[in-house]
Amino acid sequence: MAKIKTLAMLAAGVSCLALASGAASAGEVTWWSPNFNVERAEELKVKFEAANPDITLNIESTTTNGLPQRILTTLRSGSAPDLIDAQHPWVTGYAQNDLVLPLDDVIEDRDDYNKAAIDYVTYEGKLWGVPYRIEALAVLCNRGHFEEAGLDPENPPATWAEFLDAAQKLTHDGRSGFAITGGGEVGNTIFRSVPFIWENGGELVSADGKTAEVNGEKAVEAIKYWTDMYTEYGVSPASTLENDGTANRRLFIAEKVSCYQSGQFDIGSIQKENPAIDILPIMTPHPEGGNPSAILGGWSWVIPSSAKNPDDAKTLIKWLAQPENMGFYTDTFPARVSAMDLPRFDEPILKVFGEMLPYGRPLPNHPRWVQIAQAYFDGVQRILIGEQDVQASMDDAASDIQRLLDQ
Amino acid sequence: MPGRHTGLLFALPALFVLALLVAYPIVYTVILSVTDLGGSFNGTENFRNVLAARATPRAFQNTLWWVGGSIVFQVVLGTATAILLNRDFFGRSTVRAIAVIPWVVPGIVAATTWAWMFHTEFGIINYMLTGPGIIDEPVGWLTGRHTVMPAMIAINVWKLFPFVAIMVLAGLQSIPKDLYEAARMDGATFWDEVRYITLPQVRPVIVAVTLLLVIWALNHITTIYAITRGGPANLTLITPIQIFRLGFESFQFNEAAALSVMFFMVAMVIVALYIRFLASEGEIGR
Amino acid sequence: MTARGRIATYGAAGLVVVVCLFPFLWMIISSIKVLTELYTIPPTWIPEAPTLGNYATVLFDSNIPRYFLNSVVISVGSTGLALILAIFASYGFARFQFRGKTYYQSFILVGQLLPTAAIIVPLFITLRYLDLVNTYLGLILVYMIVTLPLSVWMLTSYFKAIPRELEEAAIIDGASRLGVLFRITLPLSLPGLVAVMVYAFVTTWNEFIFALCFATDSSVKTLPIGLAEFTTEFNTDWGAVMAASVIMTVPIAILFLSMQKYFVGGMMAGATKG
Repeated sequence: MAKIKTLAMLAAGVSCLALASGAASAGEVTWWSPNFNVERAEELKVKFEAANPDITLNIESTTTNGLPQRILTTLRSGSAPDLIDAQHPWVTGYAQNDLVLPLDDVIEDRDDYNKAAIDYVTYEGKLWGVPYRIEALAVLCNRGHFEEAGLDPENPPATWAEFLDAAQKLTHDGRSGFAITGGGEVGNTIFRSVPFIWENGGELVSADGKTAEVNGEKAVEAIKYWTDMYTEYGVSPASTLENDGTANRRLFIAEKVSCYQSGQFDIGSIQKENPAIDILPIMTPHPEGGNPSAILGGWSWVIPSSAKNPDDAKTLIKWLAQPENMGFYTDTFPARVSAMDLPRFDEPILKVFGEMLPYGRPLPNHPRWVQIAQAYFDGVQRILIGEQDVQASMDDAASDIQRLLDQ
Repeated sequence: MPGRHTGLLFALPALFVLALLVAYPIVYTVILSVTDLGGSFNGTENFRNVLAARATPRAFQNTLWWVGGSIVFQVVLGTATAILLNRDFFGRSTVRAIAVIPWVVPGIVAATTWAWMFHTEFGIINYMLTGPGIIDEPVGWLTGRHTVMPAMIAINVWKLFPFVAIMVLAGLQSIPKDLYEAARMDGATFWDEVRYITLPQVRPVIVAVTLLLVIWALNHITTIYAITRGGPANLTLITPIQIFRLGFESFQFNEAAALSVMFFMVAMVIVALYIRFLASEGEIGR
Repeated sequence: MTARGRIATYGAAGLVVVVCLFPFLWMIISSIKVLTELYTIPPTWIPEAPTLGNYATVLFDSNIPRYFLNSVVISVGSTGLALILAIFASYGFARFQFRGKTYYQSFILVGQLLPTAAIIVPLFITLRYLDLVNTYLGLILVYMIVTLPLSVWMLTSYFKAIPRELEEAAIIDGASRLGVLFRITLPLSLPGLVAVMVYAFVTTWNEFIFALCFATDSSVKTLPIGLAEFTTEFNTDWGAVMAASVIMTVPIAILFLSMQKYFVGGMMAGATKG
């Protein structure tokens, strides 16, 4: 193994010397920015290079499909770009494998950051990424459908019982009241169902990370409420098991679905593709006497441990993390509280999403998290395809998760 | 006779290039499979962890279904198509050309197009079936417990039966015409000809093509990964995809390597048995 | 053929055409629909407002043209390299006896059995070591794992089918082994060579996973990666994906159709005389 590491380093060294054509050398920083951010990154590049004349910035656009695989390949091969945009939950995985550098010396004014976001990218007491973007899901509804069904859009359903009642009223004539997800990447269903468990006082995994609790009474009750939307009440569409967040948005745009869980990132394309829809965002429903909840999502900047120019990359992060730059770059909300004051975050339609942020929690932080999430998702799918009832399926999921926790 | 090493010299460049590409990955994978995250030796722990996972036996079983189902239909439909395309009819060359389109369509394109067509709500297939009343409710092709694997197999069959058809068609064209003429003199029907002349004559082609199909199906990722990622509830999880997910989604590169080693050995055994079986029949490997 | 046989033949041929063509047709129909129409329920057969907008997006507003060029270079390069290596190796296997020949022949097949997921990272390291990441040559080399085994296998059978006597006569006349290979064997093997070429070209043109991991710079990315780029975090531009799919499929279909006659012939000898 030591030999492999040497070889990898050697390889990195060799390519470092020979990659003069195009790739980084001293004073150059290569930055992988996702394709939906890249236009804004190019604008920032101009400003950054004006402020730092001795640093040249190379921006590489990355594609969303297969991005985790591509990042891992480049990190593990021992020769990576200097700065990468990664989703919060990926970061601790990199930290556990020594693939990224700690950034405690880079972050300024830590208290100005959303605490849940900082928790996400902290592992063994060190900070491994600088969060720049955060978001929490709420529920998007079609105001017109609300009025048709005799519901009051100014006083939307807030509790589980009210919401189920509304969803049933909204379901008629081939139209579905509330679409849940059951397909696509694991994250889609995690982000939409786990908040219901938390609201109800349940957990996937105990706080000390040692026991699986997904088959506990509170968790099972919440999963039953959520999956019943499809299996019991039929208020979620027939295609639920192949729908992810994007598919639900399409159904919403086609006016086949009246409500679905989403973030503010969907608003633009709904307005563009079906301007007739009057969008009504509402808070995620909660149990009687409880509070809403959400998983905090978003993106961080990381510096690979094999970056050729980590120092200049750190300079770049410090510059990007200034409130006005971060506020400009993020697709949704910025991770810094002070950046929230920018005018672009002051729109009425964003109000509910802003109100959801304080309820945002990070996902559990465990080396086996991805597999734990997969085991839970498999369990949810077993319920949706009718293979098992909620308790039996979650008992199986709990034993899968327990095995992973014990390893 | 040429020198003893002449043949090897001819083969050397190809062998060198392959060795260059394959040698390090094999060594790397074997080392990863018996070490932990920090790189220290941990014996069979990775293997035991992988084998204990609920998904592993399910994936193995799914792989058998996937490979078996794909191959049976690819070979049967491919051979039938070849026999059809070998008959004399108007427009034959056009049909021959059209019949290879599925094979040349890029796998990722085929997968996305089929997923689009199979979609429960927007899909054209459910629309065509519900319209004339063949079915009442839209079918969740890609989500039903009993439909999703057959749907995946159907896509794979669609993609590769043309390849079988071309190969078998080529074999058919080398069958001497007088064999058929003699049979017809004896009053043989079309089905007699297929059974007693055509199939025995193209058997070597079918045997060789089947080997390729087995290898391709065993190592297939694109179609299933692009459409279901192995879901729902692991119904379409096959071992190559499990390896892919273990490594690239779950960061468990050591366990992925352990599973790779086991998978590679099983695949080698299957292929070796197949080749040995054929060699003993004297059909390939001479 | 009897009347019934004729009807059955045409019926079956019609079925084959529909089954093979339908998804392709649906792809083309989808590519000229506007975005909102793609998501109407029920789907429409004939686009209400046909548009070439998706093609315009693909041709003028994306990296697809550049990727098209990359795909051509890489596919031609790897096809050529596979062909050269396969010609020599197959000739060696077909015409000579040497120690360990069976093992070498099996070794060539082994590459195809290695799980893709397991070899990506070490292969990437190998390419780094050779300083070939993000180069045409790197991808061309990597594709040897995919194309070489079957190419060697097909050509070996093809060469075996050519009578030795032709070559022996030339050798008696004083020709060298290489001279025999180039002047006698290869011209006789043209259909086999075409078969290998088409196979290698189609395979590399369509390959996705290696290209995704080993081509991270837009100067070497290939068309399948271009398809993936129409998907952003929360959206997929299906119309553009379908348009790009058409653009990606048409050249390969034309190439195949123009070579089809040789290809079938080449496969024939390759497959039957093993």
